[in-house]
Amino acid sequence: MSEVNGGGGWRISADIGGTFTDLLIVDPAGRCVGVAKVLTTPEEPAEGLERGIQELLRNQPDAVVDNVVHGTTLVTNALIERRGSRTALLTTEGFRDVLEIGRELRYDLYDLDIELPDPLVPRRWRYEVPERVLADGSVRTPLDEEAVRRLVPVLEEEGIESVAVSLLHAYRWPNHERRVAEILQEMRPELDVTTSADVLPQIGEFARTSATVANAYTRPLARKYLSDLEDRIRRRLPKARLDLIASTGRVAPAATAAKVPIRLVESGPAGGVLAAANAAESVGIRHALAFDMGGTTAKVCYVTDGEPRLTDSFEVARVKRFIKGSGLPIQVPSIELVEIGAGGGSIAWLDDLGLLRVGPRSAGSDPGPACYGLGGTLPTVTDADLVLGYLSADSFLGGEMTLDVDAARRALDTLSAGLGVDGPEEVARAVRGIVDEQMAAAARMHAIEQGLDPSIYALVATGGAGPVHACSIARILHVGKVISPARAGVASAHGFLGAPYGFDVARSAPSPLEELDWNEAQALLDELEEEARTQAGGMTGSRRIEADLRFRGQGAAVTVTMPQIGGDEDPKQVLATALEAEYRRRYGRVPEGAEPELLTWRLSFSAQPPEVEPAPPGRPTTPSTRPVWFDELGGFTEVPVVGRSEAAGTGPMIVEERESTFVVPPNAKVELAEHSVLVVTL
Amino acid sequence: MTLRAGQLEVLWSRLVAAADEQAAALVRTSFTPIVRDSGDLSAAVFDHRGWMIAQAVTGTPGHINSLAASMHHFLERFPDCRPGDVLITNEPWLSSGQLNDFTVVTPVFVGEKLVGYVGSTCHAIDIGGRGLSADAREVYEEGIRVPPTKLYDGGAPNEELFRLIEANVRMSKLVLGDLHAQVVGNEVGAARVTEIVEEFGLGDLTELSDEVTARSERRMRQAIGELPDGVYRSSVDLDGIDEPVHVECAITIDGTDLTVDYAGSSSQSSYGINVVLNYTAAYTTYALKCVLAPDVPHNEGTFRPLRITAPEGSILNARFPAAVAGRHVIGQFLPFAVMDALSQVAPHATMAQGSGNVWLTTIRGATDEGEFVTVFFASGGTGARPERDGLSATSFPSGIATTPVEVLESSSPVVIEEKALRPDSGGRGRHRGGLGQRIRMSVRSDRPWVVSCLGDRLAHPAPGTAGGEPGAAGGFFVSGVGQTDPKLSTEVAAGGHIVLDLPGGGGFGPPEERSPELVERDLVDGRTTK
Repeated sequence: MSEVNGGGGWRISADIGGTFTDLLIVDPAGRCVGVAKVLTTPEEPAEGLERGIQELLRNQPDAVVDNVVHGTTLVTNALIERRGSRTALLTTEGFRDVLEIGRELRYDLYDLDIELPDPLVPRRWRYEVPERVLADGSVRTPLDEEAVRRLVPVLEEEGIESVAVSLLHAYRWPNHERRVAEILQEMRPELDVTTSADVLPQIGEFARTSATVANAYTRPLARKYLSDLEDRIRRRLPKARLDLIASTGRVAPAATAAKVPIRLVESGPAGGVLAAANAAESVGIRHALAFDMGGTTAKVCYVTDGEPRLTDSFEVARVKRFIKGSGLPIQVPSIELVEIGAGGGSIAWLDDLGLLRVGPRSAGSDPGPACYGLGGTLPTVTDADLVLGYLSADSFLGGEMTLDVDAARRALDTLSAGLGVDGPEEVARAVRGIVDEQMAAAARMHAIEQGLDPSIYALVATGGAGPVHACSIARILHVGKVISPARAGVASAHGFLGAPYGFDVARSAPSPLEELDWNEAQALLDELEEEARTQAGGMTGSRRIEADLRFRGQGAAVTVTMPQIGGDEDPKQVLATALEAEYRRRYGRVPEGAEPELLTWRLSFSAQPPEVEPAPPGRPTTPSTRPVWFDELGGFTEVPVVGRSEAAGTGPMIVEERESTFVVPPNAKVELAEHSVLVVTL
Repeated sequence: MTLRAGQLEVLWSRLVAAADEQAAALVRTSFTPIVRDSGDLSAAVFDHRGWMIAQAVTGTPGHINSLAASMHHFLERFPDCRPGDVLITNEPWLSSGQLNDFTVVTPVFVGEKLVGYVGSTCHAIDIGGRGLSADAREVYEEGIRVPPTKLYDGGAPNEELFRLIEANVRMSKLVLGDLHAQVVGNEVGAARVTEIVEEFGLGDLTELSDEVTARSERRMRQAIGELPDGVYRSSVDLDGIDEPVHVECAITIDGTDLTVDYAGSSSQSSYGINVVLNYTAAYTTYALKCVLAPDVPHNEGTFRPLRITAPEGSILNARFPAAVAGRHVIGQFLPFAVMDALSQVAPHATMAQGSGNVWLTTIRGATDEGEFVTVFFASGGTGARPERDGLSATSFPSGIATTPVEVLESSSPVVIEEKALRPDSGGRGRHRGGLGQRIRMSVRSDRPWVVSCLGDRLAHPAPGTAGGEPGAAGGFFVSGVGQTDPKLSTEVAAGGHIVLDLPGGGGFGPPEERSPELVERDLVDGRTTK
């Protein structure tokens, strides 16, 4: 028997974003019966959230809410803005600089003036502890407990509030770390202590230390925020329990989040991916390419067999936006997203070669695209979309904001001469072609790196600009189906509600597969399951075991799912076969005679996900027509503009809603499925 | 071909994407850690004339135009490729200057018509011979040499060649596996190029290639033209082996043409640290591009205004059969020579010298469980920049990542006892040089072991620029005794240890001009002690 979040009562989800806090309420049957969008209160984000709850309850006065699921950018922002606590790092003697030396790599080979991210803990607060554990878990130098005790007054004098302890090979032998933590807390109970084994006991000292430090750095802040939020929720919803959505898209109780806040870094985007997966699932599609495009960035994530891809090579607070390697590595499991510097606000410009480029610089929301009329004069993607008729001047954001077509044309026209074309429409076409190409290229590159074939996925469009560009991108990727769920603008908050309780843990135990002791391995896996279950709030559920395996001599491992073991099967052989199968799938061949090696065990624990219907459509639109540019039709054509519930038949067609506009190209077949999900066949 | 606005951009980015995807497919399947973690490979697309029109952005400047140079040799020998052909060489003088680098080229067809080629160069984990060391005296000792040959002929594998390679290298399964990965990677790239030509109805790549190369050449010429005409000189001095190595560099700017000449540099060495001209050109071009036009993509046009020369028989244009396995020890210092020379006219874009080449350390020995060989990389400090301090313990100019200590110790009996920044090793200046690092290591074995370390700057520390002071020199100690020639193999007694002191980077500007806050911060953080 599995337990479902909230036990079948009323539930609320809340996604705090940069500008808006989105809230949704569902009834015990999983039907969305209310949506609230309130301004985010950056100083005290819990305040805006509380206001949102009040607004939802005004329309549902009788709702007895027993669960609030929440996603927040608090932890990410604290890391980006460096607003965390005064943190110290304790390392093995001789390794004080592990955080600073990193991988010894520049993230940009050609930029002589690059900056690396400053470590969260300055060198003065990095202390060494005499001790040494070897790779096999044996103790070479016992822990000098006296030395740890002597550090306590030093930490006090420096005003340290939080301590990260990350010792070599602690994934194999965590006892030294644990003992250090005990001593610190015995002597100063108010000190916040994070050990690397608590965060993720995985091999690789730099990435593990970086994640441990980031956790220590944000923990006091997260603890305070969550306890304040719980108080506020208790005031409005006396029966409700607060849960947080983790970067993996699984839900954990507030108590777990307060312990390992670093697990929350990608909670908002994870919600968006879940909503996309959910919408695809509702029309029977299990392979989805979640595509979200907003004002400054686009994000893509491949969902295979209903499961979003996870990674642990996530980075936060990049010094150079969108450049891999320029941020702080956070080695915790999170949904694997590729972020591209292309959004509605991305600015078009001519480079030194006379070529048209789009982004990554964005006009943001202030001054915003030229057509916003807020003082922006540079041409953006939104300006191009408006000039080509994809967006309408009068019905943007449900007509609350009138767009200035002339301003958009003027802005685009500034590039006409440089491009050698006549008039803003040609510039707009080029801008759109290039930005779509960029997003498709990033999605394809990601697929190639992972050994996936994009054409077997259906693209699911969310975000303000996602549905405007979805079909063009799908065509470039040879993707045959595009799915558009209703209310793309509150997708994350909606996704939270369909997330199951669960937790993901891992532990490195490097060993040649040949020498693996299966009884020991089983004991370790049971331990991991117990840990994951506890972190997930003690639910019942099921576990999925994966192993990072590689062939000896290789640096990178592949993650394979551990198959069920039959009674007389040799588990080592089963793993070796699984590795070979995964290899064949990805690379089409298996290296002959190579020895398989186990690196890390991973365990995903997950309860039954709650049943939630896709979001219902917003207010209907009055059908009309407007001229829209399609290359296939040789220019502007009068195209029908319809609401979601009228959308059916063959494109061209514009489906207009308050938060977004879905552009359906000529000859595409549109089908209105259950729950107002649109399925387009290209 | 008339392109609409925005179409050239789309086509060009597809070409680069084809090369990038080809490289990604190769990286994904490679067995060689340095390929996967540090991108020691390259991939490129060529038109039917052999002009390189797109190159993947990877981690090594060492292949920048060596892949392009090898293409012309292939064309000369195999002018009439047919579908299913795959060509290969690792000839140092025709490609990238080291036997470990295999270059594999595949022709691209649209229907029956040959429209271009895709190619890749990739570091093999082993090539036989003495392994990656400077010990050899001639290239014959360094491994198997494959002249330009067909690896596949009309789809049929050249079984003899495969067997020959297999018989001559260690870990032959992995080496052949990587070769196969190169072939498969090329197929990915070739399929994408065919798709571009067909989807846009181009017929072939000629016009697109003309446009891409012309624009790139124009931009490069414009950047050169902005610098005043003249001859700008510099020199770099290094430890070498047995005798110091002198690099003499003269850069001539004449309108929109730029020539780099290394006349006056040392004669070729009798050890394996010699550089072929292709590799000299690669690191020279890298630095020129960083200073002049970092954003211009690599292609035939970008290189047209540049000419790189060095006297035959010098260490930068070694004559066959010189030993070349440790070419990077010298080649990776060339960017300093180029930047020093150009600092006279482009001071905004230059930096002080840094520790230079990545230190490749090889440890060989035996335990009760058998023999082992461990290779690892480490870097010192980079030079200070006009606006910023140098980077501590960071690879420059190459992009080589270090292996985590925990991974290294899990896969070998080596124990790293210390890995920490060296205080006071960054050259003082308005901006401080990056710090070097100290690595102390031993082996869990009761037998003696052998170490070689391709490090330099023990006697020739990185000088400062514009009044900045030099960085600290490097050091290499075997059980406490300082060594002068770490590059040649040395035996370490059982129970002994070694210490690598990686050099610091040079400072930029007079030290008196450093802001008091930064001076104070360095002291508090123990980056300086006085």
